Amino acid sequence: MKYCRALSKTAGIVIAIIIIIGIAAGAYYYISQKQITTTKLIRFVPLTGDFDKDIINIGKALEQDGIKTVQLSVWSGGDPNSVMRIYGIVEAAYRINKIWKQNNINVEIKVTTRYVSNPNDVYEDYINKWSLGQAPDIMANGYTYIASLASEGYILDLTPYLNNYTSFLNQFYPTLIDAMKWNGKIYGIPQDTEARPLYIRKDVAACAGLDLTGLAEKIKNGQLTWSDLYRWALKVKESGCAPWGLIHRKGSAHPDLIQFIYAFGGKLYDEKTGKLVFDKAAVYKWFVVEKTFADHGLLPHDIMSWDWAKQIHPTVVDGKTLAFIGGTWHWFEWQTKAYYTDPKTGQQRPLTSEEVHKYFYYTLFPSGIKGKPGLTLSQPFAWMINSKAGERNPNYDKLKDLYHELVFLVVVKASDPDIVAIHSLISGHLPVTKTAAELIKNQTWVDELKNLKVKLAPEVLNNIKNIIEKTVNPLNVQFLANVTYMLEYTTFTPKHPQYPKLASLFAEALDQVLRDKMTPAQAVNYIVEKINADPDLKKSVEIIGKIPQNWTFP
Amino acid sequence: MSKISLFSKIKNFIHSDAFIFLLPAFILIIVFYLIPIIVSVYMSFTPLKNWNIARYIHEFVGFENYWRFFYMVTHDPTVEPIFITTIVFILITLAINVLGGLGLAIATFFMGEREASSTQLLWLLPRMTPIAVYSMIWYYFFHGSAIGTLNSIMMSLGIIHEPIDWGQSIIPWGPWMIIIFVNGLVGVSYGMIVFTSAISNIPKELVIAARVDGASNWSITKNILIPLLKWHIVYVTTWQMLSLLTTYDHIFLLVEWGLVNRYYGTTWALYIYNMAFTAAEKDLGLAAAAGVILVIVGAILGLLALKILGFEKMVKEPRGDI
Repeated sequence: MKYCRALSKTAGIVIAIIIIIGIAAGAYYYISQKQITTTKLIRFVPLTGDFDKDIINIGKALEQDGIKTVQLSVWSGGDPNSVMRIYGIVEAAYRINKIWKQNNINVEIKVTTRYVSNPNDVYEDYINKWSLGQAPDIMANGYTYIASLASEGYILDLTPYLNNYTSFLNQFYPTLIDAMKWNGKIYGIPQDTEARPLYIRKDVAACAGLDLTGLAEKIKNGQLTWSDLYRWALKVKESGCAPWGLIHRKGSAHPDLIQFIYAFGGKLYDEKTGKLVFDKAAVYKWFVVEKTFADHGLLPHDIMSWDWAKQIHPTVVDGKTLAFIGGTWHWFEWQTKAYYTDPKTGQQRPLTSEEVHKYFYYTLFPSGIKGKPGLTLSQPFAWMINSKAGERNPNYDKLKDLYHELVFLVVVKASDPDIVAIHSLISGHLPVTKTAAELIKNQTWVDELKNLKVKLAPEVLNNIKNIIEKTVNPLNVQFLANVTYMLEYTTFTPKHPQYPKLASLFAEALDQVLRDKMTPAQAVNYIVEKINADPDLKKSVEIIGKIPQNWTFP
Repeated sequence: MSKISLFSKIKNFIHSDAFIFLLPAFILIIVFYLIPIIVSVYMSFTPLKNWNIARYIHEFVGFENYWRFFYMVTHDPTVEPIFITTIVFILITLAINVLGGLGLAIATFFMGEREASSTQLLWLLPRMTPIAVYSMIWYYFFHGSAIGTLNSIMMSLGIIHEPIDWGQSIIPWGPWMIIIFVNGLVGVSYGMIVFTSAISNIPKELVIAARVDGASNWSITKNILIPLLKWHIVYVTTWQMLSLLTTYDHIFLLVEWGLVNRYYGTTWALYIYNMAFTAAEKDLGLAAAAGVILVIVGAILGLLALKILGFEKMVKEPRGDI
């Protein structure tokens, strides 16, 4: 006991401080040494824009430096049908290995993959692990992450590489390349994109005597707006054809419902100031529209907490609503997941492609203003390259630039028309290049894909053949071809790092409005109050406009 | 205290057996408690974000993160319900955790060995189940529509005719009931283990003697078990209180999935998490500042609890007149 008492509090603190200083000094020394060694840049091959020539030169340079294997990793996430977000890279590596083999270059790329259901988890893991050198070399993820990743220096500026690959760059739709930019530089290569059609049940519309002929065109031209859709929904309800007029996503307002802001002429981002915009008038109108739907029993008051698998999808596929604000991927999801209750057997099963085609009409998201064209919203995925790509390979200090060039070319290869087209056809996302869009129209190639006769790495083919069998068919090909026009009317959500906070406030406020806990005006003021309560958000958001006093809906 | 006496005391201590005995615990405390606190305090004075340590670790922003934290707390219109929710959540869940754990430990003490093991295992299930799976079970149980198990049972029994949105429409007790219930079940097992282990160390002779004298179970519990478990009750109460102050994982999922009202379903720890991590930028400096404040609040509450529960009296050396 006397020895225990000998340790006074001060003595304990002194020992603790000595140990901590020791550990901190060791860590500091380790970090500073690492920084010194990683600044030596030596080897690279000038890129010419000729893919085969460049990849052969890089292969030879690696071989000369004694490299036999290059280890690369790719991470991504999303629905189960979107696995080409990782297998695209595996396939590209396979094709590059083949080129090297044909040219007697004894180097091989080996790819490890990780695919999870939530892309946001991939982003969070990426930033957690980047400093530790454990982030992947390539990540396919939403373009909205480019801002924070680029500003931290976590991803490679691809502009210098793309300057030598202008013909490659020109294959992509220009709006998608714009989405990849941050402060004027390109940080990503588009991997996929999508549109968010408004689906209308053909059978429900027919039951209520609504004529869908030319509807898509009318919405495209702004002849038919949300006011008209409201009247249609009311008619459906009153005639007892379906219990609901409109169904949409739960939880987050990002990004499906954000279309309402654009539909009422609002904006979310100011390019000039680089600030987010909170447009009070447009958001107020959005809330009023949804509240009117909810107050008349056309939209559930509690839709923001509905369950996707047990409520939202079954309501839509069972024909219990006139309209659904969805995405192109839902067309394919309804064919692979058992949301539909078969009236004959009472069992749940996926819809067949013929049934999806029979039941659903699709169109742009209607405008809120007469004469203003309809719209859609895309959130493209991007291949992003780690700014420390290749770090886990030998001689990284010396070969850093060479590894970066190689990873860039792997991504270029992963954008081959057939890889992009396969991803679109099995996942329901839209092709990002014009060449892939053309390929989808090629019936011979589509048949080859359907019969699994396309030339793919065995690993890739084995992993996607089940999805191909379920999804590749003429009706789905036709759907993709038919919705591609929507990209001309597309909008984007801002790439601002604070945007998710603002989107989450929209969701919160909308939920309160739908549940009758706030009026639309109170909800708008609530968002203003919340913006002003957060110094970062206050600094990043410009509040514009006023709540319109005499505006009514419909 | 002179410098010489301090160093000689340290020297004496290092050469003692007590030092060898205490060393493993001492190292663990330094590595897992002291260093993280010091690192958190340091981080709270930097603009650290997105885990970019190399970039921000040398930048110093003074009390900026603390200012931002207090600014948000004092300007946010939703702080009041969150504050009330936190108090109610901690008090009721704590009572459930401590009394439930104690009750279970005592009940299993009077059971046969096999029944006791099965009961304890059953109550450990919530803690053993992965957080997402466990939360999902209660999400579907309390779901506010007809797909919710509770609604479905009550409707089939004819108790209700329309589903009740438990977590969203009965404000504030609906969401409070759900988060307290879900967390309470998880916490009970901790108290149960500590109390069971403590009861097993009570000399059997005391219970046997009481039995011989014709004491009932209640009398044994009241006069032998509870008085001898005082120390453990203080420990479990203090530990669980601090644990509840910082817990947010199950609640986070229930709020995100829309099962419970966002304001009356959010506790202080979750509020801080959302404040720092909702944006694409992970604001670690702000999170660290909020964490440091939480540590201070936790320390004050912990000391207060020990004081109220008479911890000091219990650790006093025996007077030698027993």
